[in-house]
Amino acid sequence: MKTILLLEDLPEIRVWLRKLVLEVFPGATISESARVHDAIELVAAVKFDLALIDLGLPDGSGVDVVTRLRDMQPEAQSVVVTIHDDDEHLFPALQAGAFGYILKEQARELITEQLQRISQGEPPLSPSIARRVMAYFSAKAKPQPNLNAMPNVSLTDRESEVLLRVAKGYTLPEIGVQLGLSRHTIADYVKQIYRKLNVSSRAEAALEAQRLGLFR
Amino acid sequence: MAALPSLWLWLGLLAGAGWAPAAHAVSLEIRSALSTPALQANDKAYPESGQQVPVSLPDEWARSRPGSSGPIWYRVQFQPLTDLEPDELMALFIEHVCSSADVYLNGQLVHSSGRLTEPLINNCNHPQLVTLPAGLIKAGGNRIDIKLAGYPLAEVGSRQRAGALSALQVGPQSELAQRHAGLTAVQVWAPQAVSATLLLMGGFMFVLGFINRRESHLAYFGALSVGWALFDSRLWLRGVPVLQLGHSAIEFLLCAMLGFITWAAVQFLLRYARKRHRAVDVGLPVQSALLAVSLVLAGKAGLHDLAAVWYVLLALEVAAAAVWHLHHQRHARSVWLMAGLLSTVILAGGIEFAAQWTGARPLAAHLAQLAVPVIFVVVGLRLVQQHGWALYRAEQGKAQLELRVREATSEIERNFRQLAELRVEQVTERERKRIAADLHDDLGAKLLTIVHTSDNERISTLAREALEEMRLSVRGLTGRPVRLADALGDWRAEVVSRLAQAGIEGDWEAPEDLPQTLSARAYVQTTRILREATSNIIKHSGADHCSVSASLTDGDFHLVVQDNGHGISAEVDGRLDRGHGLASMKNRAKQLQGQCLVESGPGYGTVIRLTLPLDRAIEGA
Repeated sequence: MKTILLLEDLPEIRVWLRKLVLEVFPGATISESARVHDAIELVAAVKFDLALIDLGLPDGSGVDVVTRLRDMQPEAQSVVVTIHDDDEHLFPALQAGAFGYILKEQARELITEQLQRISQGEPPLSPSIARRVMAYFSAKAKPQPNLNAMPNVSLTDRESEVLLRVAKGYTLPEIGVQLGLSRHTIADYVKQIYRKLNVSSRAEAALEAQRLGLFR
Repeated sequence: MAALPSLWLWLGLLAGAGWAPAAHAVSLEIRSALSTPALQANDKAYPESGQQVPVSLPDEWARSRPGSSGPIWYRVQFQPLTDLEPDELMALFIEHVCSSADVYLNGQLVHSSGRLTEPLINNCNHPQLVTLPAGLIKAGGNRIDIKLAGYPLAEVGSRQRAGALSALQVGPQSELAQRHAGLTAVQVWAPQAVSATLLLMGGFMFVLGFINRRESHLAYFGALSVGWALFDSRLWLRGVPVLQLGHSAIEFLLCAMLGFITWAAVQFLLRYARKRHRAVDVGLPVQSALLAVSLVLAGKAGLHDLAAVWYVLLALEVAAAAVWHLHHQRHARSVWLMAGLLSTVILAGGIEFAAQWTGARPLAAHLAQLAVPVIFVVVGLRLVQQHGWALYRAEQGKAQLELRVREATSEIERNFRQLAELRVEQVTERERKRIAADLHDDLGAKLLTIVHTSDNERISTLAREALEEMRLSVRGLTGRPVRLADALGDWRAEVVSRLAQAGIEGDWEAPEDLPQTLSARAYVQTTRILREATSNIIKHSGADHCSVSASLTDGDFHLVVQDNGHGISAEVDGRLDRGHGLASMKNRAKQLQGQCLVESGPGYGTVIRLTLPLDRAIEGA
């Protein structure tokens, strides 16, 4: 029996999503919210297994909820459900700890399938997000001052290989065939990439806060 | 500076002209005479009845008869020269006669140097040459009577202008004429020439300095030069021709002129060193006025004594100013020149004072008198040269400044243009972002609601497509150029996964790692064309295989989408064009200056060939 947070400001879409979620996870308990403020209060009160979070909300960005959820309930899975398909909107959410994203306007069956895949540990990864992640880690690989204070988070060769192929437009099943790996293994790599992105980003944020003197 | 050697050469020549006749032995020098005061001012003959007093020549009235203003008669005797060449005239040469004299030979008037009544003609600096007519000369013995009129020392500003008669010389006319010419050159013509030069140059410099107040030293120097030129006129001017000024008025003016000259000289020395003193600015004019007033108060009898005191005072002031100037300018490059010139002037002043004190007037004193204006001319030339240089440098500086101003102006204009462009870009960018956000929040939300709430599948699809279109448009608005390699990755992921979901085998061929970029608009339009083509294949073609190949030739980007479906029949093409979106695909290609060809026939499948000129696509057609 799953407990699910649904953060969405458009009432019709919220109703529609609720129906959809109940189809995928029958009998799930769904907490709905239309504002970031309410969602954060819910996060403090209720323990969730899954959170579907819209990014553009009337009182702020869904990224804050992702962050809060990551801090307070690390085992909960945050999934960004958004109308924005560009990496400039998605990447910060992924850095904050979102475990994949779903584009709202996709057909119902597609979203259903993606939700199932995500809950089974198979998050989606677009070429542009993959390029963004690659750029992020290659910039980090360059020597920086104060690096000793940071946990050494870097991608393995295999993870990098998967990322590179995703960036070139290959689908995950294709990559599995190319590398002679199972679809499951490839999905694990993608999950690992998301996790490392989050860990590294959090460490970086902490370091930045330290640098600004917030922890002194 | 080049004037300096020629100056000495010139002085040497003058000196040579003055000295040459002194070596002659033939002429006879007469150093004693009988003298007697005139009985009446208009006597025409030596008063035999008067008291005859023997005097030695030169006879200075200041020593022999202080206070006397003459006229005094002198009588000398001489024997005719025996070694004269035939046809040679005899002459009498008087080096110094002050102020004026008539000469009688054996009772006959043979020469008059000018009027003997007030105001006397001033001959003090003019040597006199009297040709003695051969017919009047007697073989036995001859007497020369000289009636001299002059002024007592007390009434004149300088001993040079007090009544006096020098020694007389009798000799061959040719020799004495030569000597007379030499002395006249030094004492009259040279001062005249120098005065004229000084007057002209001084006037010029005064105007120059007056116009350019920052060069006020030029104005003072001009005033000094003009003042000195006027002052020097005492050496050669025998009488004021038009004004008929009395003697004492002329003496007063000459003495008062010295106050003015000192004023100009001291101010020049200060201003030339770029200094201004308020006290000096006020003090010097006041002093000049005081000098004039004191001279008036002293009257003509006290003129000489008072003037002597003033001379010392003024000379000390000028000397002090000169020393101050040299000290202040001791680090200047050309200080040695000023030092040389100023010490020469001071030396000349010393000689003049000595001449005044002793009453003697050797040639050196005349040369010293001449040296001062000559030095003024040299200094004047130097100042003009400096002024010219300054002017030249100023012109050059101005030209450079103009150049720099032009450069700076164009730089500023360029910066301003860049700034304006940047600002336009920033404003545009901000506006684009705002429009994009508005579209997402408002239009996007509404379309999304339609997509998921409409019961009509067709309306849902249309809304979804509209949403995609909107997003692409927004990306086109805000987008930066996209690397072709990245674009191919995006397209591949979309096309291949869509085909796979539809159960169609996809085959993708594209070169890797292309460095070229596409403008955001070209990327968006191509994405739409490709999306439309993929949709057509999925919906209408009935194909089970599709190949997409991208290539790059001669700066053109080619994309070929080929399926093995049943193609589009001609009549169906016309009717279903809207559904297939073939027209919009072609239209989009045309907007990018490219083309989109559709080859199809029943049973063959469909080939869509898209060609885009890459450089235009980069520019953002």
